[in-house]
Amino acid sequence: MEFFEAIKTNLTSPTILFFVLGVVATLVKTDLRFPEPLYLGLTMYLLVAIGFKGGVAVSAAGVSAVWLPALAAMALGAIIPLWSYPILRFVGKLPAVDAAAICAHYGSVSAVTFIAAVSYLNELQQPYEKFATAFLAVMESPAIIVGVVLGKLAQRRSGSPFKSVMRVALHEGLLGRSVFLLLGSLVVGFLCGQRGLDATAGFFVTPFQGVLALFLLEMGMVAARRFGDLRKVGFFLVAFGVLMPIMHGVIGIMLGELVGLSLGGAMLLGTLAASASYIAAPAAMRLSLPEANPTLYLTSALAITFPFNITLGLPLYYAVARWWFGVTP
Amino acid sequence: MKTFPMKLVTVVCEALAREHLTRALTEEGAHGYTMFTVQGAGAKGSRVADIEEFGNIQIEVIVPAPVAERLMERLQRDFLPHFAVIVYETEVRVLRQDKF
Repeated sequence: MEFFEAIKTNLTSPTILFFVLGVVATLVKTDLRFPEPLYLGLTMYLLVAIGFKGGVAVSAAGVSAVWLPALAAMALGAIIPLWSYPILRFVGKLPAVDAAAICAHYGSVSAVTFIAAVSYLNELQQPYEKFATAFLAVMESPAIIVGVVLGKLAQRRSGSPFKSVMRVALHEGLLGRSVFLLLGSLVVGFLCGQRGLDATAGFFVTPFQGVLALFLLEMGMVAARRFGDLRKVGFFLVAFGVLMPIMHGVIGIMLGELVGLSLGGAMLLGTLAASASYIAAPAAMRLSLPEANPTLYLTSALAITFPFNITLGLPLYYAVARWWFGVTP
Repeated sequence: MKTFPMKLVTVVCEALAREHLTRALTEEGAHGYTMFTVQGAGAKGSRVADIEEFGNIQIEVIVPAPVAERLMERLQRDFLPHFAVIVYETEVRVLRQDKF
């Protein structure tokens, strides 16, 4: 019963309702369109705001409290592709380069899914480690690099030379604009501490939920525009896009408890492990593994995993975390 | 008025290939280019341009005929196999020959 309550709380939050509204807008073919610079502006605002707040939280908690869970998060991001790849390759019978590109997306993370999880926990008044944004920042790149290496190893004889491809992948993975903005704001927040947050709260804190709602309206449209491609990717990837996040969510929650996170923090780590990147990873894959089919990885990350995670995934990971921490009977 | 013959090379391609493409232009000897974001539909699906990275760009560059030749060959070799690209050239006449 409690689980259905948790789903209801999530589905009736403004952010998720606006996401659904965006999906509906596309399905009924309204002429609603966000200008592309607005999308970019909203992304930048969200990344800077959570990076900054996360940095302030790191400075309050002290680096000694953050480094171990952050390292665990990073390692988890790097190893997720190592089992996702054989599943895609041998169960899904996908070409090696496609399997490599897709597994990079599932090891990497989605900032918006993380933000939705944070606002879900806020709504439930469930405490969590505020410095969890640091996990988001360090989990984005490792899987991208692992995925590119897997892809290049699989097609050693063809394609462009390994070194130049790795340079592109490293640049995209470590200095892509989302990673840069997030890490940069984290450092800024860390350096100014609470004083800086007090000074900017009117901009970074108060309007945040509203901006998030507006952004999810756009994300609903972006995701729904790719629903048509679901037919092209086949049943296996649809199942993969739902089942792998659940498995990764459970692993993330267990790992979170192991490295000393609270219930809320472990749920956030689980959500990060479950999420699939749809900005940094597709850009990096398109440039470093151009032979991989973008329809496959974009559709699974954006049209399957993202909608699943923010609607049903979040309450599910929360329920699993409560069960694992022994809160629910 | 005296005008000089030149080639206008137009490339429509994925926005993600922007860096690769502008580097190729400079290396093959173009002195400048004009770039804008565009949207449309083609063999690899519609490009709705809702997210900048997944959109399309169009680059126009005016160059002397030999440079156009080299540029098109390079695009055929390095870009056509991997990216969604359209390339075409047009005869144009310009006022200041030395500018290109």
